[in-house]
Amino acid sequence: MLASQNFNGTTRHLREDSDSDDEVLASTLVEEALRDDGDYDDMDSAGGGHQISGENIQQKLAAAATPLDFQAPLQNRFDSYDNYCSLFHFILNSEGPVDLELPTVGSFSHYVDTPMGKMDATTYYWAWDAIDEFIYQFNSFCSHRNAVARKEGAGTEEERKLLSENPQTWGCYSVLNVLYSLIQRSQMNEQLAAIKKGQDPNEVAGEYGSRPLYRMLGYFSIIGLLRVHCLLGDFTLALKTLDDIELNKKAVFARVMAAHFTTYYYVGFSYMMMRRYADAIKAFSHILVYVSRTKNFQKNAQFDSVTKKNDQMYALIAICVALCPTRLDDTIHASLRDKYGEQFTKMQRGGPDALPIYERLFLSACPKFISPIPPDFDKPENNVDPSKHHLEIFMADVKNSMLAPTLKSYLKLYTTMDLKKLAAFIEVSPEVLRTQLLVYKQRSRQTRWIEGGLLEGETINTSDLDFALQGDLIHISEAKVGRRLVDWYLRNLAKTY
Amino acid sequence: MTFDTSTRPEHIQGILSSLDRYNPETVTIFQDYVQHQCDTKTYDSLANLALLKLYQFNPHLTRDETITNILVKALTVFPSADFGLCLHLLPANTLTEPPIDPFAEAVLKLFSLSRLLEACQYKEFWITLESDDLYADLVADCVGFEELIRLRIASATVQSNREITRDLLEGWLNLTGDGFESFVKAAYGWVLEGDVVKIPLNKENEAKTTVTRENVKFDQFQRVIKRAYEQPA
Repeated sequence: MLASQNFNGTTRHLREDSDSDDEVLASTLVEEALRDDGDYDDMDSAGGGHQISGENIQQKLAAAATPLDFQAPLQNRFDSYDNYCSLFHFILNSEGPVDLELPTVGSFSHYVDTPMGKMDATTYYWAWDAIDEFIYQFNSFCSHRNAVARKEGAGTEEERKLLSENPQTWGCYSVLNVLYSLIQRSQMNEQLAAIKKGQDPNEVAGEYGSRPLYRMLGYFSIIGLLRVHCLLGDFTLALKTLDDIELNKKAVFARVMAAHFTTYYYVGFSYMMMRRYADAIKAFSHILVYVSRTKNFQKNAQFDSVTKKNDQMYALIAICVALCPTRLDDTIHASLRDKYGEQFTKMQRGGPDALPIYERLFLSACPKFISPIPPDFDKPENNVDPSKHHLEIFMADVKNSMLAPTLKSYLKLYTTMDLKKLAAFIEVSPEVLRTQLLVYKQRSRQTRWIEGGLLEGETINTSDLDFALQGDLIHISEAKVGRRLVDWYLRNLAKTY
Repeated sequence: MTFDTSTRPEHIQGILSSLDRYNPETVTIFQDYVQHQCDTKTYDSLANLALLKLYQFNPHLTRDETITNILVKALTVFPSADFGLCLHLLPANTLTEPPIDPFAEAVLKLFSLSRLLEACQYKEFWITLESDDLYADLVADCVGFEELIRLRIASATVQSNREITRDLLEGWLNLTGDGFESFVKAAYGWVLEGDVVKIPLNKENEAKTTVTRENVKFDQFQRVIKRAYEQPA
């Protein structure tokens, strides 16, 4: 049962008393999954003694969607967690779906079109803000806790004590539990599958899922899962989570700029970590083009929060393009040169000098990775910053391709070439060159998405340069692109009127 | 990434597609499944990643041997990114140098093997593999490890080469004499002529220059045509 263990305690000591270790949390998750829908009336709500109603709920609703101050003291973070727990508990485990009057965010009063029908904008934005903030706070809490445990920078003894005594606050299992429960309660996966098949989602939505609040919370929880899996380093599962969502402009999340943006950032990042650079570049370009085209209409607070992520995505696309040379959209390319011109050139040149730049850009642009379990407070040396771990694995792949740019610049000049002669030019031994050629070939073959789920794809050649070895003779070929006359003509014609 | 799910039993599929994938009680089922993959030369990356995730959340259930077996299995599907994807799910202190415990040492050893394979240094891979008994222990559970790796190296060879000297290929495959000859005969239609192995042309090793012509769609003219019907302002 979802309710009893991890949502019941709205006060700290209560939760400590209940044996909320990981296994119990896990089994509640599982029981929740196995549970047939309906039948919530007899749910044991003895543990959740705090009934919330009236003004209280309004405060909680408003708090859930309000950003917590960056430097908020630990106590506020604990309180905020309790607030989310009681709120989600109320939404998920009341007798039947609840009706809530949501606080208005900004001055939105219109309706939003979604594939699931018209949606009241207030619900829509509140749902996004609540889920977004929930995960953001979870993320920053875990990062902070890890930093305190590593004894890096700030973090008083008092904080250490408080954190080590409350390992379950903002636990991964609880956060995942909330997200999965919201998805299940709203029958979101079933609804999305129906939409994909062109059927009416309302037929499978059920009592909860047909209500705007549950529907939007469920929908955005899927994006939340993408994010949490990515933060935990499970990039495969992150992409798998989006199986039922179609990434196109009509997608529901596209209506909230921040949601649209977040989704593509994490999708692109996951692809990058799976070494599917072509797909990563596609995801990043898509959203960066979108932002650059709409930035004039988006001069609001929401857009400001996007600016930082925007720069991060430029850093990531620079890394991907350096590893997998691709022609970018003109506007993106111009902005990239503008923001990261020097670093980009160095990365494209390759060689050992480029490695620190890859590292720096990666660390500045990666999500704040978190560790799935509370850190070991007794042995600070056992706690490694998760970002370092992921960076090291990523860099193993980068190091492998540092000779590729040089190799490519030479290969471009010839149609046939002797291996030994080329080795002398590059100043490496012929056998090193041979392995580097194999590496080049291997890396140019990437899985690229064609259709279906995001993990699907076919192996394609991403390089315009190809070669084959006949003994020591290298045959080189190039995939040339003919002049794009029609495109040029149309673009210039468009300019004249 | 290998998504061939044809060998995945139904009960595993059932767990993977439900929230049971977070249930610590399924750890033993997944562990048995890893063993099954080792015994039958099959491979299921999604199931193995799910098990690593369970270990992530429940460190007390971790079985080092199963993790190294998963990593060894991931080696056999190089050059896919699987090995790295598994490493991402291990505790963050596993890759620190010097290794903190024997398990971390084993992971680092496998990581070095993976890097050799990724860097196409096949001969060095075999030399390293035979240099230390620890490696033999690590790959012992995985039936046909060498054979599986050899097949992967062979397909990398096919991608890049039309002709290759016997000497070189022997080093890459770690085979000599009769063993080498029968491998060459069995695989991919290769022909041994004197000291050279000839590999038939395929899509990857033909290296043919192509020119991509512009693909013009009628839609592109939409605006121009629309404009023609509009009244001048």
